[in-house]
Amino acid sequence: MISRRTFAALATGVALVPGLALAQGAPAPFDNPGQVDIALVRYLSTGDFFQAYLSGVEKQAAALGVNLQVFDSRQDAALQADMVDQAIALGVDGIIIQHGLTESMQEAAQRAVDAGIKVVAFDVNVENPAIPQVEQSDAALAQLALDQAIADHGTEWVAGFVHVAGIAPLDRRAAVWEAVKTANPGIEEVAMFGTLDNPIANSVANQARSVLSANPNIQVMFAPYDEFAKGVKIAVDEAGMTGQVSIYSADVSTADIQLMREPGSAWKATAATNPAVVGEVSVRTLALLLAGEDPGAQVIVPPTLITQAMLNDADIKNMEELGAKLPAFAHADVAMAPWMTLPPR
Amino acid sequence: MPRHAITIRGLTKAFGRNAVLRGVDLDLPAGQVTVLMGANGAGKSTLVKALCGVHRADGGEILLDGAAFAPPGPAAALRAGVVTVHQSINDGVVPDLDVASNLLLDELADGRTLFLNARRMRDEACRIAAAVGLDIDVTRKVAGLPLADRQLVAIARAMARRPKLLILDEPTSSLSLAEAQRLFALIDRLRADGVAILYISHRMSDIRRLADRIVAMRDGQVSGLFEGGSLDYAGAIRAMLGHAITEVDITIPPPGPVVLEVAGLQLKPDARPFDLRLHAGEVVAVTGLVGSGKSALAGVLFGLDRPVAGRIVLDGRPHAPADPGRAVAAGVFLAAKDRLANAVIPGFDIQRNLTLPFTPRHAGPLGLMRRASERAQALRSIRDMGVVCQGLRDGILTLSGGNQQKVVVGRWLAEASRLLILDEPFQGVDIQARQDIGRRIRDSAAGRATLVMCAELDEALEVADRILVMSEHTIVGDHRNEAIDLTRLMAQVAGSMDGMREPA
Amino acid sequence: MTPPSITDLAIRYGFLVLMAGLIIVFSMLRPAFLSPQSAVFILQSVAITGILALGVTATLVVDGFDLSIGAVATSALMLSAYVMVIWEMGAVAAVVLCLLMGAGVGLINGLLIVKMRVPDLLATLGMMFLLVGLQRIPTQGNSISTGMVLPDGSAAEGTFAPGFLMLGRHRIDFVIEDLVPLSVVFLIVIAVLTWVFLELTRHGRVMYAIGSNAQAAALAGINVGRYRIAAYMISGVMASIGGILLAARLGRGDVASGNNLLLDSVAAALIGFAVLGAARPNAFGTAIGALFVGILLQGLTMLNAPYYTQDFIKGAVLVVALVFTFALSGRVGRARA
Repeated sequence: MISRRTFAALATGVALVPGLALAQGAPAPFDNPGQVDIALVRYLSTGDFFQAYLSGVEKQAAALGVNLQVFDSRQDAALQADMVDQAIALGVDGIIIQHGLTESMQEAAQRAVDAGIKVVAFDVNVENPAIPQVEQSDAALAQLALDQAIADHGTEWVAGFVHVAGIAPLDRRAAVWEAVKTANPGIEEVAMFGTLDNPIANSVANQARSVLSANPNIQVMFAPYDEFAKGVKIAVDEAGMTGQVSIYSADVSTADIQLMREPGSAWKATAATNPAVVGEVSVRTLALLLAGEDPGAQVIVPPTLITQAMLNDADIKNMEELGAKLPAFAHADVAMAPWMTLPPR
Repeated sequence: MPRHAITIRGLTKAFGRNAVLRGVDLDLPAGQVTVLMGANGAGKSTLVKALCGVHRADGGEILLDGAAFAPPGPAAALRAGVVTVHQSINDGVVPDLDVASNLLLDELADGRTLFLNARRMRDEACRIAAAVGLDIDVTRKVAGLPLADRQLVAIARAMARRPKLLILDEPTSSLSLAEAQRLFALIDRLRADGVAILYISHRMSDIRRLADRIVAMRDGQVSGLFEGGSLDYAGAIRAMLGHAITEVDITIPPPGPVVLEVAGLQLKPDARPFDLRLHAGEVVAVTGLVGSGKSALAGVLFGLDRPVAGRIVLDGRPHAPADPGRAVAAGVFLAAKDRLANAVIPGFDIQRNLTLPFTPRHAGPLGLMRRASERAQALRSIRDMGVVCQGLRDGILTLSGGNQQKVVVGRWLAEASRLLILDEPFQGVDIQARQDIGRRIRDSAAGRATLVMCAELDEALEVADRILVMSEHTIVGDHRNEAIDLTRLMAQVAGSMDGMREPA
Repeated sequence: MTPPSITDLAIRYGFLVLMAGLIIVFSMLRPAFLSPQSAVFILQSVAITGILALGVTATLVVDGFDLSIGAVATSALMLSAYVMVIWEMGAVAAVVLCLLMGAGVGLINGLLIVKMRVPDLLATLGMMFLLVGLQRIPTQGNSISTGMVLPDGSAAEGTFAPGFLMLGRHRIDFVIEDLVPLSVVFLIVIAVLTWVFLELTRHGRVMYAIGSNAQAAALAGINVGRYRIAAYMISGVMASIGGILLAARLGRGDVASGNNLLLDSVAAALIGFAVLGAARPNAFGTAIGALFVGILLQGLTMLNAPYYTQDFIKGAVLVVALVFTFALSGRVGRARA
């Protein structure tokens, strides 16, 4: 079996050739990228989003020619902090912190900064001015999806909302939902539910079935996380309400594309940032820091709206085709510098 | 007249309606080893527990050095100078700690010292160890020591308290001969120091080596005291087992064909091989002291253990069952001793306990149980055994001990067997149940060989056509149950027969 | 015979009465709760955990425990997706391979426990971690769905076979058209079969004997080790059936640890101890226990109760059930049974 690591190593080898050719123009330390070590310290890793994010990190790291080491704490906040210390001990030049809890990561991140290591945080606020935040804009994601819902259904409908409080990105998406509801009094939320019980889609499907039988008048389900949307779609199909309910969500994956493209699918649209692109942006932000340039305190990766109609019209079957046929989705023009090599498309 | 460390007068103790100690009078002189003998249930362990503060006596008094002694708990008894080394060695030591910590455990448990001074502990421990002749590295973990050393650690720990009375409960049961010799040497030194020692054992070799006096207990009372120059061991055994043996009306049937033939069977590496023949229709009792090898013989025949050497032939075919299932298939059944641990299924009702070994008999296609067949069998067993119960579906634990025993014996009488082994079938049952069970065993005996293991001689005399005596894992006597020479039989039980192999 | 006391009645029927009370309360608050669709849906929502719980019951009966069922279920989920999407094989192959996998895992669990003498909790805990990791290795942690890009760069062409998806999605006309999903039929059939096996066959009888006193069962000539291994195999197969139904419902191979499946099914089996005052693992009680949790969650969701209150109430029900079993019926439960 060819492991991901081997694959990445091979890709690095290939990418090194153009990298070396360009190296003359690149600032230190990227004039000799083989000497640059970076670490990715992950909190969440299970699921398509995190897989795609990782592949983006790997590809951009390979394109730059730097060495990448991945630490995976698998939702163990204390372990994640330890892993930062481990990376410090290994003497890496830069660290990307991917998700985590503010409380547990704040001090560890500070220790890394104190050790002279450049740090970038993705989707976790470590409250440190020296650490730029890479974010997919949750607010923009939710807004795009809800704008589409309003475009499809007007401003008067009965809604169900899938939400689990206490998860930062979901809370940011929920804030937009509240704002949209306030702005449009015609939108009536009759049910709010949600769970992160594993497998999430199955658990949410069970809940959504109950909600739909209690509230058969629901027209729109706002499920701003694709696992939620999958669960709701299963429930809508099982309840035989496919024609009556429309689902709007956030995030996308190959499996999501398949579900959205099922004939008559209730899943009408999703707003997504390409997780691979977010991964690439995370690495580029770190590279800017390492080269002494200022990426800014916040690097926001803009989302793209993906509707059922777009997928059907362009006959998009998976994430790769989505990237190829929706250029906005394949690359985000943020955290760029002329000397950087981009991953091959 | 030696000074008495302990004087016990009229001690009584009952558990519910069951009077276990019924007026025990006993003196334990300082500087002497008193051996206490008694069959299961004679009250030995209750007496020991009263002395070491686990139980409180209901009546009577104990005097320790002339002062009244009624310890409210084990710790108090220990402080007063009564030290007990229990049979299970690991009760006396903490395996995961080193020797030094074990030796000072009582001091540590007192908790007066907050911080441990390693050097002071080591020195103190060495001093205690030397006092009992224990020559080992005190920093070793107890778990890594041989059994004998562990036991010496337990004793040394006890001796650090300068006891007045040391109680040893079957201390040699898991020791080798050489290890036992070390223990005996220590006991000799303690005796010379003036410690009163109460030594509980059935091993004749131990008793001969150590005893200054022998006390036999039976039915909650002291039934014999033997002291003086040459101790009457056979008399002690008789006092322990009871001599008021009633005439039993046994008609010995003519023996049928040979069912089981055993040749050169060796149960333990150092045990003498023996031969044995069992005939159809014959009820043979095997008697002998605890640990004499009765259960080992049963275990080999039922596929629980392998013999060291020897050949077993059942109905002309070699018999070497790999497990109990195969023994049952070959027609060898065993009603195990200690029913609560080995026989009763507490979660089952009476009917299911009765039919447990032979469920295939009552199972139809797909293994579905046929209720009528099962119920009919259970009713038959209940009637045959005379089980007193309200209904077949009552839980087994609602029954009295005697009726429970009838159920676990009756379970094996439900099917015809070639050899039925009953290991202590009268254990913990009342006299009525004992007679019922015995009669049923005899009434059903035709057509099979029956082997009944019982430590109590009167039980053997009540049930058997023939009585075998086991000692040191071999058969040392074979008596037809007609005008038995009880003295000779007792002597064989005690292992003091002339010409018997003596342990080295 | 004395008439049964209030305590006896409470122990025997308390849980069923509680369940009836719940149904009445929920129906009054939400009339939709009482519809046949709602009833069928409750069954559907507990089908997977119910089947897993019946497997756990088999191991509890022999006084064992299987912590690996959740992981076996999600492994079956991944395996069926792998077989159909990547190997492009059919529904039958997927089902057969999953069942074999479940039986194989059960066999290994059983051998570890019986032959290697590893304590049951530790052996199955180890197996759980092993499977959680193993199911991710072939796809490098990715979920499996049609169109996913394979390591060689091509897209996976296989799809979930329609026959396979039917297992989780097809509905049978029963009085009302399209009413009863196949998964509910599976649950009922498996529950009845398990009940018959445990209560009416000699094998079930023997397994209960082993659970109550293994030493006595062995001395009655029963091959205790073989029955123990069989119990873990039953548990593994049941878990893989649960995984197959999960895959058929989700229509993709989702990476998941299955810990919630494990916890919910163990809870159902333990609640089952209290049903009819059995005070022991039993198939009927397990089915009722699963149903009880399903009713509770359905009702609470209809009332818009957030998910954490549901966990809280699940836990409370479990504690009450255990009190029923161990404190109240300790006296009588021992005596009858």
